[in-house]
Amino acid sequence: MRLIAACFALVFTAVPTFAYDIDRIIDEHVLPGFGRLAANAEVLDQRAQEDCSATSPGLREAYNDAFDSWVRISHLRFGPTETGDRAFALAFWPDTKGFTPRELTTLIEARDPAADSEEDFSHVSIAGRGFYALEFLLYDPQFMDAEPEEYRCKLLQAVARDISATAQAILDDWQNGYADLLRNAGENDIYRSEEEAVRAFFGSVVSGLQFTSDTRLGRPLGSFERPRPNRAEARRSNRSARNVLLSLEGTRDLVRLLADGAPNVEAELDTAYDRALDRLAGLEDPTFAGVGDVQGRFEVEILQQNIDRIRELLGASLAPILGVGAGFNALDGD
Amino acid sequence: MRHLKYAASATALTLGLASTGLAQDVSKDAILENYADIAAAEYGDSLATAKALQAAVETLIAEPSADTLQAAKEAWLSARVPYQQTEVFRFGNAIVDDWEGKVNAWPLDEGLIDYVDSSYGGPTDENEFAALNVIANPTFTLSGEEVDATEITPELISDTLHEADGIEANVASGYHAIEFLLWGQDLYGHEAGNGDRAYTDYLQGDDCTGGNCDRRAAYLKAATDLLVSDLEWIVTQWEDGGEARTSLTANPDAGISAMLTGMGSLSYGEQAGERMRLGLMLNDPEEEHDCFSDNTHNSHYYDGLGIQNVYLGEYKSVDGTEISGPSLSDLVAATDPDLDAELKLKLAETMRALAQIKASAEAGFAYDQMLERGNVAGEMLVMGGVNGLIAQTKTIERVVSALGLDQIEFEGSDSLDNPSAVFQ
Repeated sequence: MRLIAACFALVFTAVPTFAYDIDRIIDEHVLPGFGRLAANAEVLDQRAQEDCSATSPGLREAYNDAFDSWVRISHLRFGPTETGDRAFALAFWPDTKGFTPRELTTLIEARDPAADSEEDFSHVSIAGRGFYALEFLLYDPQFMDAEPEEYRCKLLQAVARDISATAQAILDDWQNGYADLLRNAGENDIYRSEEEAVRAFFGSVVSGLQFTSDTRLGRPLGSFERPRPNRAEARRSNRSARNVLLSLEGTRDLVRLLADGAPNVEAELDTAYDRALDRLAGLEDPTFAGVGDVQGRFEVEILQQNIDRIRELLGASLAPILGVGAGFNALDGD
Repeated sequence: MRHLKYAASATALTLGLASTGLAQDVSKDAILENYADIAAAEYGDSLATAKALQAAVETLIAEPSADTLQAAKEAWLSARVPYQQTEVFRFGNAIVDDWEGKVNAWPLDEGLIDYVDSSYGGPTDENEFAALNVIANPTFTLSGEEVDATEITPELISDTLHEADGIEANVASGYHAIEFLLWGQDLYGHEAGNGDRAYTDYLQGDDCTGGNCDRRAAYLKAATDLLVSDLEWIVTQWEDGGEARTSLTANPDAGISAMLTGMGSLSYGEQAGERMRLGLMLNDPEEEHDCFSDNTHNSHYYDGLGIQNVYLGEYKSVDGTEISGPSLSDLVAATDPDLDAELKLKLAETMRALAQIKASAEAGFAYDQMLERGNVAGEMLVMGGVNGLIAQTKTIERVVSALGLDQIEFEGSDSLDNPSAVFQ
């Protein structure tokens, strides 16, 4: 093993063609991504205040745009997203014990006054906040017309306002200090070297794709004997496959920046991404409802294998040239 | 700030040579042996204390009384002390991870096993057997098959009931199933107070409360016997020649990596995330790890201690015997003394934060209360532990990197099986 490691080191030293650029990653991937999220979340908040009816086309459009922009950068789970409960408050899923509908029911039954104040609402259980709670309010018959109407409307507006505030807080932190920690890695104690900065980005791709494969696809797949189509992510808003697409596009964007300057590795990963994206495009099953029959299941399994192939290549091809491992992530537990 | 990899590669090479030179002073084989000895001792203590629990359960069943129930509860609490310290062996040791669900699965839909309060609800979208109540039902249909549960045996629990219908929340065996049978549901919500099952749930004849006391006693006995036999199995895996030990020591670098993986994965994803932060953010008292007994503060504390044990290469046995030997700390100190000091400090800070949670809970501020919405002091206490665990994970990552083990986690992928594949 040590011999192999030594070989790697020698080879890198001999072929120093590879470069990554932290500034570009921040300026072309991170800041535009969180900027888009904050802007779209603000539109969502405005639309909700204007028209809180669950079927309002403008509101639903704004919801989907904001959710899109979150999923595209949802792999960046470090730093500003992890301050307080921000990322969890935007996106509490999977909800294995049905906390979200229960929390919403509790809030509505109690006419909980937390909905009156942005500050108070930020202390509500994460199950009652964010995109997945708002999905229930916008698309689930149990909540679309919940009574009393006045409180339902107020709650929906509170959720939208809270999403906007959280998205803005994440952006603010990235703009006002956190990006500089990464740009100046090696000169601060959070990122003591370039390697630590690049490990944060590389690890985020690894865990983002792991989540998509194991959770976004793995949960509805269940087992062969017991497929679980009802566990598909955001199936009420028809977004299950869309979120897989956005996760692939978002991580690919970052992978290209990480592999910049290593054309062979970039091409290899690009091919693997194309294969997964083509498979997804051919699936025509927006909520993975087909996992219940043999053919439909087979197709989702192949997609999962395509994504796992990208993950393998990240470890086999990209990690060695970056000189880092993936670190630990939130999915390490059980 | 475009960065050529010259500099980084040179560093890697230097570090590689440095650690190769110094590593000879601290034998990785000896560190792994000591780690395996500690695992054997901790599982040995878990087995011994589980046997004491088994004896207490037999006494409870033979002579149900408030005293014998209390004695069984105390035996359960004692048994958790060494077991929680073993959790650090899970991640990184596949054999342990594959096995541990039998003994420590959580959270559970306890209505599978016994009666529950009406507020519990019935079957859910996620689990149609959430309220099956095996104790009240000698026969039932499970995933389309008729099950004969007239006799409750360890085999019935492990082979048929546990994870029934492929659902992880159908926990039929292990510490938490036994905990539920001793304490009952915690119906106090965010208030202090744990489950208050009465000993009369085990009285045979007309005085039986909760119904089916014979079957409840049979279930408790079978679950406890099963726990003991499961622990006996894992102890043998860590003895000389056992599979856990031999697979760990087969490749010293992979073994050291497994030790660090166990520490980092338990610290971050599992304990800081799933067990502590998520419960806090959900404000849900059911999201505490030992919810029936309100023993969660100890569960967290001894998990943390287990992580520290592994780094320092030390374990204090339940009878006070100390096991100690060559440690990861020695290895890191030989490579980067500052980093060793940093990790020791971070681990100590986490233990202090976890001790503060434990101290508060033992003084009457229950873990349930800490999780309540708007309970700022509780949030600060729990987040103190969470932040400590997150901070130590960052340093564990630095250790992985300093020891040149970054790539080990991708073992089995092309890069390590066939190094040239990377450059094709």
